[in-house]
Amino acid sequence: MARLQAMLGRKPVVAVPARRIVWRRYAKEGLKYLLAVAGVLVAVTPYLYMVLHSLAPWNEVNRRFIPTELTLRSYEWLLQGSRTVAPKPWLRALLNSAIVTAGSTFLMVVCGLVVGYALSRLRFRGQQTVYNIILFQMFYPAIVLLVPTFLIVRALGLYDTYWGMIVPKAVSLWAIFMFTSFFKSIPQDIIDAARIDGLSELGIVFRIALPMSIPITTVITLFLFMERWSELLWDLIIVQDENLMTLNVLIATMSGPYGNYPGGLYAASVILTLPILILFLIFSKYFRQGFQLVLK
Amino acid sequence: MSRRMQEVRGWLMASPYLLFAIIFFFLPLLWSVVLVFSDWNLIAPDWRWVGLQNFLEALQSRRVQQAFLSSFRFMIFVVPLGLAVSLAIALLVNSLKRFQGLFAVGFFLPYLASGVAVSLVVRGALAFNSPVGRFFLNNFGYVPDWLGNPWLAILIISLMIVWKFSGYYALIFLAGLQSIPKELYEAAQIDGASSWRTFWSITLPMLYPALYSVLILMVGLMFGIFTEPYVLTKGGPDLATHTWHLEIYYQAFSALRSGYATAISTLNALAVFITVMIVRRIMERWGRNLGWVD
Repeated sequence: MARLQAMLGRKPVVAVPARRIVWRRYAKEGLKYLLAVAGVLVAVTPYLYMVLHSLAPWNEVNRRFIPTELTLRSYEWLLQGSRTVAPKPWLRALLNSAIVTAGSTFLMVVCGLVVGYALSRLRFRGQQTVYNIILFQMFYPAIVLLVPTFLIVRALGLYDTYWGMIVPKAVSLWAIFMFTSFFKSIPQDIIDAARIDGLSELGIVFRIALPMSIPITTVITLFLFMERWSELLWDLIIVQDENLMTLNVLIATMSGPYGNYPGGLYAASVILTLPILILFLIFSKYFRQGFQLVLK
Repeated sequence: MSRRMQEVRGWLMASPYLLFAIIFFFLPLLWSVVLVFSDWNLIAPDWRWVGLQNFLEALQSRRVQQAFLSSFRFMIFVVPLGLAVSLAIALLVNSLKRFQGLFAVGFFLPYLASGVAVSLVVRGALAFNSPVGRFFLNNFGYVPDWLGNPWLAILIISLMIVWKFSGYYALIFLAGLQSIPKELYEAAQIDGASSWRTFWSITLPMLYPALYSVLILMVGLMFGIFTEPYVLTKGGPDLATHTWHLEIYYQAFSALRSGYATAISTLNALAVFITVMIVRRIMERWGRNLGWVD
């Protein structure tokens, strides 16, 4: 404003004392932060509700918003069950979730790196065709393939196994696509130098290209991990054995019959949500930086 | 390195994807084409060719019709609310001088939630004698039948979706906002434009690409809802929240009608495709009429 007035060589028509302008600006800024804090609070309310009620005495679960005392009864129930209810394998389910999600995400990232490198930095006949196939598959509605994919996985003998959950989700087209476009920006000189030093192409991918793209790799990994962790439909249809179910599936399956044990289900939900939340907060430093790259 | 070696190397490095595409894309693709014209219960060896019967039955089925309609019922709430909330978050965060990253992360947290866990929270919070129920009883004298009333159930699931995705869409808007050249705002200030006018004449037109992609993402999402109604309503009351994916899941894995389910998924894909095309046409026409794009 001041610069503008100087340019125009005019004084403001209404003279407002400078101190009041400053005060008003502070009030406006403060209001914005207040609004932002309130918004974030609304955003995390369901998480708070979940945590509070997983720690509430059972006669207060879903009765009062803030329980009068905190207890670990719901968590004990998860592990030991009660006289009338045998415990379900909740911890095993958490382990299953970890195995399936980590395995799946690892394969998706590695495959994205290698294939992305091949498509962006190598030259071979048919390269454009491979790229076009990826685009075609990206735009082809996956839901049409749900039943036939299930049949193929069953025919491969992977029904009711970890591999049945991991292998059909071992490739992410989105990750390949992101790495392909990102690797284009690596200078050719660096790659040439690495080749002269005798590094193999795979060596270049993991020793040169990967370290040069840590933020974007972190964000891609986080997104893939998050999505895999909360997957319901596929894991629900491919596994029947309670001991192989992911935590998400076990909670969904038990939400009907265990409707009378909301405290326990909240405790299971906390165990489901906490790891992903912690992981995200640890890497949130990379998040904004990498997200801008992902959106480009 | 010889030309030949280069070729081999390229194909070798692309092979993880190609192998995957053969087994999990082209093979299911072929199989789906056979399945939609057949009647098979996934187990028995007998297998019947039924021609277009699956499609004819699906088109006449009330369950499928309701799944089709429910996508639009959810759209009525999710699109305007989602756009307003995510745009508001983006504008607010963008206007902050400090801690932008912190608040962006804060608003993004709902996106991490598993739909199952959130559905349990919503079910609990709306249960009989719950804090929310008592609040209504004390203030209005009655408790609405949250998930028993068709439109209330739709509204509740829509709000859950808006809650989950707003922070994510806000990030897309935020990236759009931060790519608007500052000179435009300075020029507007010199011209004496009000902040309202600046918003309509600069911010919104410059956000058009972000607006476009968020809208397409939202509309596409409306045809793929599964978790929330699966846990909360099972598609009820009276199929009001019955979705495409619920129907496909039910037909394929409860009724064991693989061909019929695949025919329904084909219809689902067609519905998404056509709706997205229409939305794109409308968006492009609006953009041109308002002079936001050429």
